[in-house]
Amino acid sequence: MTDAELLRYSRQILLPDFGIAGQERLRASGVLVVGLGGLGSPVAMYLAAAGVGRLVLADFDAVDLSNLQRQIIHTTAQIGRPKAESARIALAALNPDVELVTVKRSLVEETLPDIVAGVDLVLDCCDNFQTRFAVNAACVAAGVPLVSGAAIRLEGQVTAFSGQPGGPCYQCLYPRDGGIDETCSTNGVLAPVVGIIGSIQATEAIKILTGLGEPLFGRLLLLDAALMQWRSLRLPADPSCPICSVTRP
Amino acid sequence: MATTLRFTPNLYRHLDCPDTCVAGATVREVLDAYFQANPRARGFLLDDQGAARKHVAIFVNETLIRDRTGLSDPVGEGDEIFVAQALSGG
Repeated sequence: MTDAELLRYSRQILLPDFGIAGQERLRASGVLVVGLGGLGSPVAMYLAAAGVGRLVLADFDAVDLSNLQRQIIHTTAQIGRPKAESARIALAALNPDVELVTVKRSLVEETLPDIVAGVDLVLDCCDNFQTRFAVNAACVAAGVPLVSGAAIRLEGQVTAFSGQPGGPCYQCLYPRDGGIDETCSTNGVLAPVVGIIGSIQATEAIKILTGLGEPLFGRLLLLDAALMQWRSLRLPADPSCPICSVTRP
Repeated sequence: MATTLRFTPNLYRHLDCPDTCVAGATVREVLDAYFQANPRARGFLLDDQGAARKHVAIFVNETLIRDRTGLSDPVGEGDEIFVAQALSGG
């Protein structure tokens, strides 16, 4: 590690149980961020700033003026540009040492396995159930940890799945094809709420990649920002889950 | 045998569902008793077969229940049922 790297990351290297070994683990890691919107913005920015070695930035959409209230990685000058490219430009300026890969097409079940198999961790920051279930299935199949976040109005949910046999997966929590997508564009969202949930996702990702602390595996945090109340709920694995039960011993 | 029944704020847009105490020995019995006074809630939480809808997650004392069809988990005095809903926004 160079002197410049030691200085750049010094405030987290100072942390007990993190140290230079933790920083080197981050630098050796590859992470997929699915969605560069309200959640993906703080997620990608924190992970790049923290020194994750390779970030795969996936989003098929383009930056719109109505995004800028909460999708803080994008700027007015990037309106009309693909979000993945806009994010790449912002992250390259934030930390030029991070390898940045963009995926500007929609992630579907056919393309996800190859992408997921090439990373150490996935963050689900998307805005639709179809992608959430597909990302979950790809993570379970590849044994890759998944940090899942969602937010709308003044509410948020965040959890993590180890990807290892024995633990729950997203489909243990919500059976497939049950949800009707409620989007921020039709229901509204308070900007800092996605920031809170995205920041927790980034925290969990760094913890999992470095072995710091105790990950959120098997627990679901719910935020009610109107009352600023949190709930921590336990998620046992579903023995009949069609996705993860087949990988269980 | 009263169990406290609480709902995610997400459902407040559809239902008038303040926290309430309901008698019943299982999740099914508590919900059925609640639906008698709040019939509109049934369609939001359960499907036509009486199972929890797929976008709904039910927790007893902060642990996700596994029997989404029979809703057979036992509950009693001092217990809490919390009903959450899947969010997709990001």
